Amino acid sequence: MNVTLAVKQYISKMIESSGPGMKVLLMDKETTSIVSVVYTQSEILQKEVYLFERIDSQNRDNMKHLKAICFLRPTKENVEHLIQELRRPKYSVYFIYFSNVISKSEIKVLAEADEQEVVAEVQEFYGDFIAVNPHLFSLNIQGVSRGRSWEPSVLPRVTQGLTSVLLALKKCPMIRYQLSSDMSKRLAESVKQIITKEYELFDFRKTEVPPLLLILDRSDDAITPLLNQWTYQAMVHELLGLNNNRIDLSRVPGISKDLREVVLSAENDEFYANNLYLNFGEIGTNIKNLMEDFQKKKPKDQQKLESISDMKAFVDNYPQFKKMSGTVSKHVTVVGELSRLVSERQLMEVSEVEQELACQSDHSNAQQSLRRLLQNPRLSEIDAVRLVMLYALRYEKHSSSILPSLMEELNRKGVSERHRKMVQSMVEYGGKRVRGSDLIAPTDAVAITKQFFKGLKGVENVYTQHQPLLHDTLDQLIKGRLKDSQFPYLGPSSLRDRPQDIIVFIIGGATYEEAFTVYNLNRTMPGVRIILGGTAIHNTKSFLEEVTLAVGSGGDRTQGRGRPQSRR
Amino acid sequence: MASIYAPSLEDSAEVKEGFLCPLCLKDLQSFYQLQGHYEEEHSGDNRHVSGQLKSLVQKAKKAKDKLLKRDGDERTDGGYESFYYGGVDPYMWEPQELGATRSHLDSFKKQRAARIDHYVIEVNKCIIRLEKLTSFDRTSMDGAQIRSLEKSVVSWVNDQDVPFCPDCGGKFNIRNRRHHCRLCGSIMCRKCTEFLPLPMAYKLTSGSREALWAPGQTGSPGPVTQQTLRRGSITSISSVTSVLEEKDEDRVRCCHHCMDALLRYQRKLEEKDHVPDIVKLYERLRTCMEKVEAKAPEYTRMAESLNAGETAFSLENAAGLRMEIQKYYELIDVLSKKILTLGLKDELQPHPKALQLQRMVRYTATLFIQEKLLGLTSLPTKEKHEELKEKRREELEKRAQQERQTGLEAQKRRLENEKNRPALSTNGDVPAPRMTKAAGWLPQSDTLHTRSELDDPLLQQINNIESFLRQARSANRSDEVAMLEENLRQLQDEFDAQQTSRAIRLSQRLAEETDLQQSQIQHLQQREQEHRTHTTTSSDLRDASERREDEEDERSSGSTHLSGNSPPPPDTHTPARNPFEELEEKPTNSQMANGKKQYNPFEDEDDEEEEDTGNAKSPRNPFEEDCEDGNPFREVSAESPAASNNPFDDEDDDDDTIEEELLLQQIDNIRAYIFDAKLSGRSDEVELLSENLKELQRTLHEQKRKK
Repeated sequence: MNVTLAVKQYISKMIESSGPGMKVLLMDKETTSIVSVVYTQSEILQKEVYLFERIDSQNRDNMKHLKAICFLRPTKENVEHLIQELRRPKYSVYFIYFSNVISKSEIKVLAEADEQEVVAEVQEFYGDFIAVNPHLFSLNIQGVSRGRSWEPSVLPRVTQGLTSVLLALKKCPMIRYQLSSDMSKRLAESVKQIITKEYELFDFRKTEVPPLLLILDRSDDAITPLLNQWTYQAMVHELLGLNNNRIDLSRVPGISKDLREVVLSAENDEFYANNLYLNFGEIGTNIKNLMEDFQKKKPKDQQKLESISDMKAFVDNYPQFKKMSGTVSKHVTVVGELSRLVSERQLMEVSEVEQELACQSDHSNAQQSLRRLLQNPRLSEIDAVRLVMLYALRYEKHSSSILPSLMEELNRKGVSERHRKMVQSMVEYGGKRVRGSDLIAPTDAVAITKQFFKGLKGVENVYTQHQPLLHDTLDQLIKGRLKDSQFPYLGPSSLRDRPQDIIVFIIGGATYEEAFTVYNLNRTMPGVRIILGGTAIHNTKSFLEEVTLAVGSGGDRTQGRGRPQSRR
Repeated sequence: MASIYAPSLEDSAEVKEGFLCPLCLKDLQSFYQLQGHYEEEHSGDNRHVSGQLKSLVQKAKKAKDKLLKRDGDERTDGGYESFYYGGVDPYMWEPQELGATRSHLDSFKKQRAARIDHYVIEVNKCIIRLEKLTSFDRTSMDGAQIRSLEKSVVSWVNDQDVPFCPDCGGKFNIRNRRHHCRLCGSIMCRKCTEFLPLPMAYKLTSGSREALWAPGQTGSPGPVTQQTLRRGSITSISSVTSVLEEKDEDRVRCCHHCMDALLRYQRKLEEKDHVPDIVKLYERLRTCMEKVEAKAPEYTRMAESLNAGETAFSLENAAGLRMEIQKYYELIDVLSKKILTLGLKDELQPHPKALQLQRMVRYTATLFIQEKLLGLTSLPTKEKHEELKEKRREELEKRAQQERQTGLEAQKRRLENEKNRPALSTNGDVPAPRMTKAAGWLPQSDTLHTRSELDDPLLQQINNIESFLRQARSANRSDEVAMLEENLRQLQDEFDAQQTSRAIRLSQRLAEETDLQQSQIQHLQQREQEHRTHTTTSSDLRDASERREDEEDERSSGSTHLSGNSPPPPDTHTPARNPFEELEEKPTNSQMANGKKQYNPFEDEDDEEEEDTGNAKSPRNPFEEDCEDGNPFREVSAESPAASNNPFDDEDDDDDTIEEELLLQQIDNIRAYIFDAKLSGRSDEVELLSENLKELQRTLHEQKRKK
């Protein structure tokens, strides 16, 4: 069930089966991300792969002393490029791996192009997704929907991605989907279709309890991606943006050249692995300890190594020191930048109000703090907008909603029209009319009492009160209480036992907060393994873009509005 | 140190003995259970055993580190935290098999074969025809002759059938004349013709020619090649004229398609034989890396063993291996540098991608050096090594001593029992089993199986030592083996002596016994009663040995009567002795001391022994002389310093060279760091390091001068 490992195993298998000798890895744009997220350059170099080339790159020389390992998505363009490549081979041998199912006819075309018999292997290795963490994958697709239905070109790609996850993990699941979302149903059917069509591929050893694929729609919980985050990974993504585990730090003032782009990968960065899910305060302490450790190991600037033993100690410590210095400077820079942004944008205050809006139900208090914060001249545009959005989603149908006056306030603050329009788009995307679950006001008695007790106990940390809706959904799923009326099974059969292996997929993108939730569920629920996937991993910014693309403009919007009604 | 004991632990698993409780011989599954069990059941038992157990515990603890490490590795996959949280951290999920795959190779090959066959036939046809076309001497013939010959090989297409050039579509007329491809006979215009130079034709056909002539007709290729050579020189001279005359004297006219096919074929031929420089260098680089990969672990093992003070490997060998590995590193460095600069001096700069490849190979090599070289454990200096050796030897001695002690004590007690049995029927039950338990404290000792047959503790001990010896041999611990062998020899001597003297004494005793026995028994019974009361009172004062009180009592009472008069040993026991034994022994001895002084016929002989071995020997023991010779403590301590070429003697002489070795080593290391720092462009570090390097070199220099 480890997606990172699955991809790693695929890739190392490819490299191993090509034998010894210098190798080049030929990839396309997407497979480059897929590989780079699980392997560092030095790891791959150790496997004798010295060059990484794009199949569509023209600037490649004849290098007959290299073996080529091609890892490509089975797209038309790639097949075309490959045909050209095989006609005039630049390398001695070609080992071809497609990241998904490829048609017989395309194999034929390729075979005919291989006049010089350079192809030594043609296989399908189903690593067609970005394995961000062992339990988290993404497809890196923005703008999956038009209105409330699939963007036509995206559905096949998402289906491919999701089925490749199933194949890589060797799972042939039962499928549940969110009834309120037509997109979920379409995807579920599409996945089922592939499973039926490629039944030979999906013929795995049966487990006692079949695995479960749960397909959800982002629009059911539009609040989670709008919140500021305080755990390390989520916070970095929210404030700096994590793209395939890389952060672009080039906009950080006074950044040194080699820190323009840094990699944060739990696979080979111990500090990051240990602090991935810790909150900002804890990381501060840890980074201080890391610094102190480092200072101890660091050779003093003008330290004279007077005795042999000094020298020996220095020499012995040097490798550790060297290894550490990279980690230290990276994390110090990242955490430093995070804290700069936190104070500059007054994120503590913002986050407090956000959490109040998301988790509590006291309208008058919420509106007061919101108004007060909006007066603050230092509040950034995006934070102002997201606060209003949260209010709009939370008190959409409230009798004394102050949304119009808040919009005016935004206008006065000089928030751009684009952003102001987004508030409306957001309500359209994730408003009450769309939602199938009880995102805000719980309706059943148990949940109400739970909330009541929660209110009595008070909250431990005002900044991390929020629990994503996914937590409740999964909790109910594991306990067998998830309602069939809201999340029906595709097909006649249903799961009788407690589910063991669960794959959750969120159309419209998951978030790192949800990844953290899933991580915690994995750790606390015995016998249950859950992995989370999404069409993308969102922060607020990318989510707003997603929403804008989904709701669209002009004609699309009316279409979007009309559809769900006609469906019901 | 853990490594020393690891083999025995592993062996124990094979012998299926596992973690046996030293006292009740219960097989417990793990060290923890054993410890728990011992603490629960036997915490109050005799301290002597607890002392032995303690050393076992220490060993086990050392081994535990290793075991735990191994466990830890397994657990990373198994999910250590799962017990704690209830769930499993996704990072700890168990390993999984490779995901689904599907191969299309078969259908690909099938499709390709159809196509390739066609292609191969085409090329082969061209080659065969080309060979025929070039097999006659062109220069000595005129154009018409050649043409007719060519036509005989390939039938030409009729001129009338082709009004237009099939390639460019131009109409043929007087000015735009038809030309025939000599290989396939097709027609094209002049613009569309290609010429295959004869040298190239010879090269192309040489393969098939050789293949044709190869086995039987070795004579034939000779003239052919000669011919080619001659032809080459002539063509170069006459080339100008031939072009002007348009006579296809030194070339073969052919069409695009044939030319393409032949060119491709030629390229393939060339590539087959051509190995670029980078590949040659790279292959050497890889072999070096593989050698390092193979040797480094061996060296690490040696270095670890040496650093632990063992003598299984010699320091010189290790240093030699280190040198060898370092040589390989240098070679890797040089080779990768050569790869890096390949073709840089050529006029035509290599393709940027080729340069990138070279850079990457170099980068990988430096990564490799960094990772492996910097991880190379340094060796102890000679001086240090001697120290370590000494320390380890002492430890081993201590262990051996304990073994020996057990054996001797066991023997003593057995003798006491023997003596007691006829005298005291009340006392005949306990001692023997207790002894075997004590002797069986080591999990790997074989005696456990055979104890019923081997009543004699000496035999048991011999057996024990033999089994240790086997284990040590299989673990290649030569120093241990030597020591054990020595022990074994001594024990065997002792045993032999025992047997002979027993026979002698038996006859003596037979005579004495009859008259002595009666009075003796009476006397002893009386003494025994006295003593009983004494021990019970004194036992109140003792804290730890309650559980073994009875046994202790019996034992001491036995010795009271029989061994009697040993003087209270001085408080200073042999230094190697276990402190716990001391605690336990003292009361016993004092008991003995005040217990009886009157009875023992051999008392005077014991006096000097007592100093060394405490009360390890029964005065009744007839083998005092043997023991003195075979005294393990003396013997070993006398011999081994000599064997380990006394560290204190050479120390002074070695001083300089040792420093030098270390210096050289450090210089090597620092060089590696500089290289590394330079590579990643940390100039401040480079500076610092080079300063250090200079300093080191200066020191080295000075030392050399001093010499």
